[in-house]
Amino acid sequence: MHTLPQQLANGLLLGSMYGLIAIGYTMVYGIVQLINFAHGEIFMTGAFGALTVYVYILPDGTSMWAAVPLMLIGGGIVSVLVAVGAERFAYRPLRQAPRLAPLITAIGLSLTLQELVRNFYPGADKSRAFPSLDATHSIGSVDITDADIFLVCAAIVCMSSLAWFVRKSRTGRAMQATAQDPDTAQLMGIDTNRIIVVAFAIGGFFAAVAALSYGLKYGNIDYRMGFLMGLKAFTAAVMGGIGNIYGAMLGGVVLGIAETLASAYISNIPGMQQLGGQSWANVWAFVLLILVLLFRPQGLLGERVADRA
Amino acid sequence: MRFGGLTAVRSVDFTVNSGEIVGLIGPNGAGKTTFFNCLTGLYVPTEGTVSYQGTVLPPKPHLVTKAGIARTFQNIRLFANMTVLENVLVGRHTRTREGLWSALLRGPGFKKAEKASEARAMELLEFIGLAHKRDHLARNLPYGEQRKLEIARALASEPGLLLLDEPTAGMNPQETRATEELVFAIRDMGIAVLVIEHDMRFIFNLCDRVAVLVQGEKLVEGTSEVVQADDRVIAAYLGEPFEGDPAQNEAKAAGTTKGEAQ
Repeated sequence: MHTLPQQLANGLLLGSMYGLIAIGYTMVYGIVQLINFAHGEIFMTGAFGALTVYVYILPDGTSMWAAVPLMLIGGGIVSVLVAVGAERFAYRPLRQAPRLAPLITAIGLSLTLQELVRNFYPGADKSRAFPSLDATHSIGSVDITDADIFLVCAAIVCMSSLAWFVRKSRTGRAMQATAQDPDTAQLMGIDTNRIIVVAFAIGGFFAAVAALSYGLKYGNIDYRMGFLMGLKAFTAAVMGGIGNIYGAMLGGVVLGIAETLASAYISNIPGMQQLGGQSWANVWAFVLLILVLLFRPQGLLGERVADRA
Repeated sequence: MRFGGLTAVRSVDFTVNSGEIVGLIGPNGAGKTTFFNCLTGLYVPTEGTVSYQGTVLPPKPHLVTKAGIARTFQNIRLFANMTVLENVLVGRHTRTREGLWSALLRGPGFKKAEKASEARAMELLEFIGLAHKRDHLARNLPYGEQRKLEIARALASEPGLLLLDEPTAGMNPQETRATEELVFAIRDMGIAVLVIEHDMRFIFNLCDRVAVLVQGEKLVEGTSEVVQADDRVIAAYLGEPFEGDPAQNEAKAAGTTKGEAQ
């Protein structure tokens, strides 16, 4: 069961989820140099949005084939609205303020969203059951569930569309231009406020995709789920080179695999028996971040800071 | 336009007709670039408005560009990490449309529009002579070509009025000549051109009219001859001659010493 290929697959799956969330951090940072610490909560509200569709809107006994796309739409709408609303009402008024102001706002927003869900969503203070897709398939020695297949396909589709969108579409080019030099971008006729909204919306939607995968995979969600996932995804974004969308995905996958392998194998090393297992996974994830930042401060795929100026 | 207590530009009235090249000169700190920044909406004027073709422009840079005013910068501000072609395509932003869905689904309409935009961008690159470098990164171009690319990017928004902020700064004489030809060619396309420049030969060769800005106010406006002959302009650049000028006394003294030595 816990062979090396299985562990790699687990790591890859976890990493894809981190990567999808990390996109939201990295795109927003790339364009407005803001670390949106409320992004973990945007992910969490997406999960509750998807759950709402399943529990309160769809009739009982809807097949999962029909339910999953509708849950994706529901979760997507909620996450995008929260992300765009946060931009419009929390961050935009502080665009010219010192950097610390929006940072503190982000932390405040994060707590506000958590408490709103905890107090007003029925049963959200404990964990709520989420419909899971746990039918298992064996490929060689690797077991994967339907939820895993959904996650991998969604991550691939999302990432390749995004890469294409940013490089080849008119809005994507405007996005790159805004990231490189907002003033000049405006003088090229680009409405930079609109571009910023698009960046938040894409980040929000990707977070909802990750949230749905999370629910389908683990079978329950709660109001705190965004905290650790958000922190890990932020770590992935920094490790991959914040501002770089490929870096976010790579950082996510590297982090996921490293974490899984560390918790599975480190206890086999003589003298480190106590340092393995799930409880130490987070420690190893952050040790890896520190190591990457020590030797490559700009992140795995990051540009040198001088290139941004 | 005021910054705190300092009035940088004060009531400058200005008309540029299409197919005309107008020069804007003035000593350092006269407010030339500030004037451009007001025109293009980067600064919101403390008082007054900017109108273009009879309509008042809102001080939002992207709307100014949409209305048909494009500019280049004193310090080159290309998108350094984009290719030459991409830079020009960004310039075409206001002249292209794209729906989110058609972009995501890459429908035929999207492909057609993208093709047309690319063709137009390539025409502009041919025009400035950089077509062969379309896939180079902008930051790897030599200085003179970066300047040209900025002009192409500005032209890409199909402006009626082009503002050039020191287009020949740092260029050698051949490059300056080439830029002159380029500006004439742009005028012949029916675009009104307003140039800030310190190179007087360049300005007087090029411009149909020249305006002199001193301490935020327009001092003189007229043809090259009128401006060159105006005492106030000379005074603004070189200072006023006055009685008992130490420099003149020194010159006299030097003459005397020389005479004695002979």
